[in-house]
Amino acid sequence: MKEMTPFERAVATLNNEQVDELPAYPLACGVCRRLLPGNVTYKEWASDSNLCAQAFVEGFNTYKFPFTVTLEDLSVTAHDLGAHVRMDTENTPFVDGHIIHSLEDYEKIQCPDITKGRTGQLIGMNKIVAEKLKGKSFLIAFLEGPLLTLSQSAGAEQLFMDMFTEPAPIHKALDQTTRMCVEAVEAIGETGVDGMCWDYLWGNYSVLGDAEYGEFEGDKYAKQTNEATRKAGLGLGIHNCSDIPHLETQIKKFGVDVYSLAYYPLVPECPTATKVIEDGYADNCTIFGNLDPQLFMRATAEKTAEETKNLCQEVKTALCKRGLNSHFGIASGCEVPPDLETRMENVQAVMDATHQYGKMEY
Amino acid sequence: MDFTSIHIFLLNTNNVDESITPKGGKRISKEQILEDLANAVINCKADQAKAAAEQALAEGVNPVEAINEGLVKGMSVVGERYAAHQVYLPQVLVSSKCLYAGLDILIPAIPKDDLANSKKAATVVVEGDVHDIGKNIVKTMLTAGGFVVTDLGKDVPSADVAAKVQEAGIDVLCMSTLMTPTMDRMPEIIDLLKENGTRSSCTVTIGGPPTSPNFATEIGADHRDNNAQDCVNWLKAM
Repeated sequence: MKEMTPFERAVATLNNEQVDELPAYPLACGVCRRLLPGNVTYKEWASDSNLCAQAFVEGFNTYKFPFTVTLEDLSVTAHDLGAHVRMDTENTPFVDGHIIHSLEDYEKIQCPDITKGRTGQLIGMNKIVAEKLKGKSFLIAFLEGPLLTLSQSAGAEQLFMDMFTEPAPIHKALDQTTRMCVEAVEAIGETGVDGMCWDYLWGNYSVLGDAEYGEFEGDKYAKQTNEATRKAGLGLGIHNCSDIPHLETQIKKFGVDVYSLAYYPLVPECPTATKVIEDGYADNCTIFGNLDPQLFMRATAEKTAEETKNLCQEVKTALCKRGLNSHFGIASGCEVPPDLETRMENVQAVMDATHQYGKMEY
Repeated sequence: MDFTSIHIFLLNTNNVDESITPKGGKRISKEQILEDLANAVINCKADQAKAAAEQALAEGVNPVEAINEGLVKGMSVVGERYAAHQVYLPQVLVSSKCLYAGLDILIPAIPKDDLANSKKAATVVVEGDVHDIGKNIVKTMLTAGGFVVTDLGKDVPSADVAAKVQEAGIDVLCMSTLMTPTMDRMPEIIDLLKENGTRSSCTVTIGGPPTSPNFATEIGADHRDNNAQDCVNWLKAM
């Protein structure tokens, strides 16, 4: 089969068409700042739309990623709701000051102006990435979903307890975080990117059952953000790196185009790539997974290549048995650690090993 | 409610007078009080946990027995239901809060001399990580398992962890992280424990999704577990 361009491979995969090889995309986001000249720090990267976008562009130029997911971190929306975000020089920003201290505080949450703050910066970054990479790499913006936005703002433990004891004010807050997400995706739809990936982390059976997830995200709030994504003309994606994800709801019920998941071999109920494909979750959705992100910090390039080879073979076998042409991307189960210790050669090892062992024959 | 240092002790209760003295009002049997304590935790009723704990003391029930046969029994039921996906994290967290509501009343009633032989445990999320739900569940299970628990918190510098282990004479250190980049803080802490001479007297367990038994072996930790209850069972079996 003629060798495809990265973009052709991405589009064919999304359509379950025949591909020359499985697309490979380690979720290399913040770590790509290290490809920029001048030792750009994480803090600088996360604070500057241009630097942030340039890093994604350099990621594509260096590795020829078929997909580019423009994840910054998981504190973007919480920051704009008023949570205090700690930005260390070389660490992923995180919330260290929550805004919910009483039940009344949930009702004080108001959708902010998403054109400002970190959300506005993220929208601007996506616009620059789209200007540079449109048609070269399939571009997917990334943002926290309504419930993750609230848990980041409120503190997850307190939020979960309040869900059980006093759900009413939480729904008022979720109305606002959902509105924020909807407004954000409407703006992202104008940037030129191709898809939107929501982080719906709490669809996880280690945390919430079907009823709880349905009440606090799935039935109402994610429905709105998913519909807004479609309305904005974007492909719909979900990233969920939890150990026991709600696949039935998040893939089949939501009808997503792309689903990115992780694999935890020590958790018996965590589905393997084979199991996900066997159970039909790749029938109408492209699955991304599920290399261990630790490989990029702890393994040699040889070990990383070996793990990639094993995953390619597993996926090819499972796709063939299921009668699928593609619909699977070789990816890390979560972001490549954006650490200074991360071995960039292991990102290359994933690309090279997929090129070698991910060839498809029909 | 103070979560930073909570004491609960599994003690020999054989020398305790089994009789219950009514102090006015309706007399309630010891069995009923223990059941009330367990049900308060199972049904997430903090007020009922407090009331039953006060009733236990008023009726002369040994506080240790009230803890072990009432509150802890209830928490065990919740733990089993969680493992079976019959209840989920929100209920576990609220049940845990109810457990502490009862403990806050019963623990001060335990004679101080009875506390001396209990093992001291510390829980911590390593520096650079603020995800502490798992750590807090471990803290609850350790407490329910009879350890004197000091919660060092989250995002704690390695040197502070090592110093606290030394200062407080900690017997068991439970470290947790959710993220790959912060895993390296774990061997750093173990090295600091070696440097300050406490490693040989302190059992070290690790937890969190990115960790594994192999990683525990690699860094010189004693144990790694998938869940809090199994970890505490392992510690108690040592």
